[in-house]
Amino acid sequence: MSLYFEEISVGHEMPKLVKGPLHKLQHVIYAGASGDFNPLHTDDDFARAVGMKDGVITHGMLIMGFVGQAITSWVPRRDLRRFTVRFAGMTRPGNTITITGRVVDKLTRGGENLITCEVVAVDEQGDVKVSGSFDASLPSKG
Amino acid sequence: MADKTKVGKEYAPVRWEVERGKIAEFAKAIGDPNPIYLDRQAAIREGYKDTPAPPTFLTVPMMWSSSMPGVITDLAINFMMVLHGEEEYEYYRQIYPGDVLTGIPRVASIEEKTSKTGRKMDMVTIEILYTNQMNEKVAKARSLLVERK
Repeated sequence: MSLYFEEISVGHEMPKLVKGPLHKLQHVIYAGASGDFNPLHTDDDFARAVGMKDGVITHGMLIMGFVGQAITSWVPRRDLRRFTVRFAGMTRPGNTITITGRVVDKLTRGGENLITCEVVAVDEQGDVKVSGSFDASLPSKG
Repeated sequence: MADKTKVGKEYAPVRWEVERGKIAEFAKAIGDPNPIYLDRQAAIREGYKDTPAPPTFLTVPMMWSSSMPGVITDLAINFMMVLHGEEEYEYYRQIYPGDVLTGIPRVASIEEKTSKTGRKMDMVTIEILYTNQMNEKVAKARSLLVERK
């Protein structure tokens, strides 16, 4: 499936993706897959000892992974050129994360048809967990 | 506080052989059902050579190689005071199973900032440029570490 440059305009919204609610087990699975074994994400006793009174927090990179899922469910993986996020807030088991995005710029540069989109991941309260943006180079209908 | 004399310093390369099973495992851990990450035939039908690496896959060689703790120690950053502030990827080519990646970590910048509450922080940017076995640039990862002081 392709998405064509001509079909996208500034203000266009990326299809929304809802993930969760998060379970501690997913932290363990993600730790094993990614190699991030910081016990802050998997061991409640450790997390409490370093000041997280409610226990473990979710890997920020897992939330970035959710945003990556939302992006490449819409824009083909091969068209993604840049993807950046800022980690704005902590996510915990039980949170449900909703990812949305919007096209903020569209231009042709060096023979590439580029779009820039802003993306954000929020929990069920609307608290921002991750905000960022991506660029994609889309094919033209010619 | 972070050692500013180390800006520009490069560290021992991260080496990583990309496996199809690891790509699928990583996609499953995220809960991403996109068949291009899970099934070679589905990926080929969509125009890929094989199952491509998902957008955040380069965290795998970085974390499994344990390169970052060495960099943080060398920069004299206090582990307990570090937050991962930002992560950025630039993508130049697809990464496929069988690729052998080499990533060179480099200290891109260290800047001191003051938060709204008056707290001083060091903003440390580490870049890792990844090439494949053909010596082609495939991606750059940029991590912003925030050391609270």
